[in-house]
Amino acid sequence: MEVELATLSHAKERGASSPERRARHILWPLLLALCLMVPLSASLGAVHIPIRTILLASIERAHFSQEQQTILFAIRLPRIFAAALVGSGLSVAGLLFQGLFRNPLADPYVIGSSGGAVLGASIGVFLLPSFTFAGFSATALFAFVGALGSLALVYFVARSHGRTPVVSLLLAGFSVSTILSYSSYFLEILDRDLGTGMRMLASWLHGAISTPTWSQILAIACITALGMIASIPLCRLLDTLALGEEYAQHLGVNVELARGCLIVTGSLLTAAAVALGGMIGFVGLIIPHLARMIAGPDHVRLLPLVACMGAIFVMLTDTLARTLLTPAEIPVGVLMAFIGGPFFLFVLRRAGDSNTL
Amino acid sequence: MTMMLSARNLGLRYGDREILSGVDLDVSAGEALAIIGPNGVGKTTLLRVLSGALRPTQGEVTFCGEVIRRVDRRLARSIAFVPQMMHIPFEFTVEQIVRQGRRPHNGLRGRWTEHDANAVENALEWSDTSSLRRRVFHTLSGGEQQRVKLAIAIAQQPKLLLLDEPTQQLDIGRQYEIADLIRLLHLQGMTIVAAIHELALVESTFRSVLLLSPQEAPRRGTPSDMLRPELLESAFNCPPRYQPKLVSSAKRRVGP
Repeated sequence: MEVELATLSHAKERGASSPERRARHILWPLLLALCLMVPLSASLGAVHIPIRTILLASIERAHFSQEQQTILFAIRLPRIFAAALVGSGLSVAGLLFQGLFRNPLADPYVIGSSGGAVLGASIGVFLLPSFTFAGFSATALFAFVGALGSLALVYFVARSHGRTPVVSLLLAGFSVSTILSYSSYFLEILDRDLGTGMRMLASWLHGAISTPTWSQILAIACITALGMIASIPLCRLLDTLALGEEYAQHLGVNVELARGCLIVTGSLLTAAAVALGGMIGFVGLIIPHLARMIAGPDHVRLLPLVACMGAIFVMLTDTLARTLLTPAEIPVGVLMAFIGGPFFLFVLRRAGDSNTL
Repeated sequence: MTMMLSARNLGLRYGDREILSGVDLDVSAGEALAIIGPNGVGKTTLLRVLSGALRPTQGEVTFCGEVIRRVDRRLARSIAFVPQMMHIPFEFTVEQIVRQGRRPHNGLRGRWTEHDANAVENALEWSDTSSLRRRVFHTLSGGEQQRVKLAIAIAQQPKLLLLDEPTQQLDIGRQYEIADLIRLLHLQGMTIVAAIHELALVESTFRSVLLLSPQEAPRRGTPSDMLRPELLESAFNCPPRYQPKLVSSAKRRVGP
């Protein structure tokens, strides 16, 4: 009887505070919030469309005026979906990079992966505007190659003896990121005639989510979904890799292959996000960190939470970016820097205190 | 009799530097072997070569009659290796870490079975870390961390356990705790090969000793044969006056 009681109280204790349970409990409210964010965000903007109208119109389009229909289907909804894709892509890429570098300060922006994607995309826009491969434009392909190349470079420079010390990581990331951003500016100088390219580059560098076409959204959604699916087994690997590469190898993990898959998947997600939103910093840093505070460090459990929270966070920030100074618009990257910058410093300080870097 | 682990004429070079040369080693099932020798003599390297993580530049290692070429999941189910250092970056709990010991068994798609759960529970119990299961790894003391590292290996349910300096940087009490755990695992039938510095623990814990010396060929024998002052003096380059004390302290702790 005593044993039973002890087991029962143990089970209770496990249930009450266990991160597994918290992770399960928070996922559904998050998904609900994500769904609710869509009509809320769509109703806000220079022209207000009441949520009630949007909800009624989702049943029957007759409730819309022609103008409302255009605003909603050609402008706001594509942008909302783009924000969600950017947010979830960057956040999951951040989760993968943090696990790969075994460092909570890694994110696509900090480690230069976003910078690489922007440079790649700029090369695509300025130098090979009409190049296409398998239906993808040079912009998207070069963004992927740029993200992959810059990440491989930072990884190669910052790693020593199987560890990636935070100082090396941040310095290498900063240097590569700076070189890449200014290279993109340099390309802009070389090609001043192309007005559209220049505007596109400026918006990429500031991190502004443009209004994409539905076919662009579909393509990016497919790439992001592919990245997310590939992330499921990779997250299982990350839990083992957290023990260190030597340990992981002795547990039968092919460490080189795992590292390669993580770099490719993370770069794919980053490139997809950059293609829609440019260089948006800190999302990939903040979201995995917040999710870890709720659900603990288990990567498999974190994956759906991080994807959901990232989507909500960028949707929210982008809604603020386009409504705070109406009719003017703040690039979402700027707003993110205001929120994310101080958060980054806070994490750096806290991590330094607890000596976990 | 087929040996569980055999190494023939094992050699390893890094460029011009020779780390190991001409090592022959046989470990039969159920044996407990201590590898002793001064710093830098290649104890860790030898263990890593035996585990399959490092490929020798000369000779080969066979495990249960099969040549080891690299560590894969199949091998990881039979051989567990506990490295000296483990740094965990995030706030993983002891239980989450020990569960990773089941990775070679359930792979990336495999479901968590009752057998896996039992193996983890056993590992926590044997290593006396059940009460630490909810604790974050990097908040544990050195001795507790060492026991958790052993728990991962126990959860792996290996036939052969390779330990690299399991008592490094531990106080004398914690050293004996680890030695007791190694003895317990040995009694359960696990074959154990450990690189170890604390000679005082060798005699009470291991049945066989391999002495690696920078100048001479490796020598193998029982603890009482190998822990002799003249052998240790030449291997460790240590003045003879320190040796008798060391050996007598080891002899006081004979037997489990």
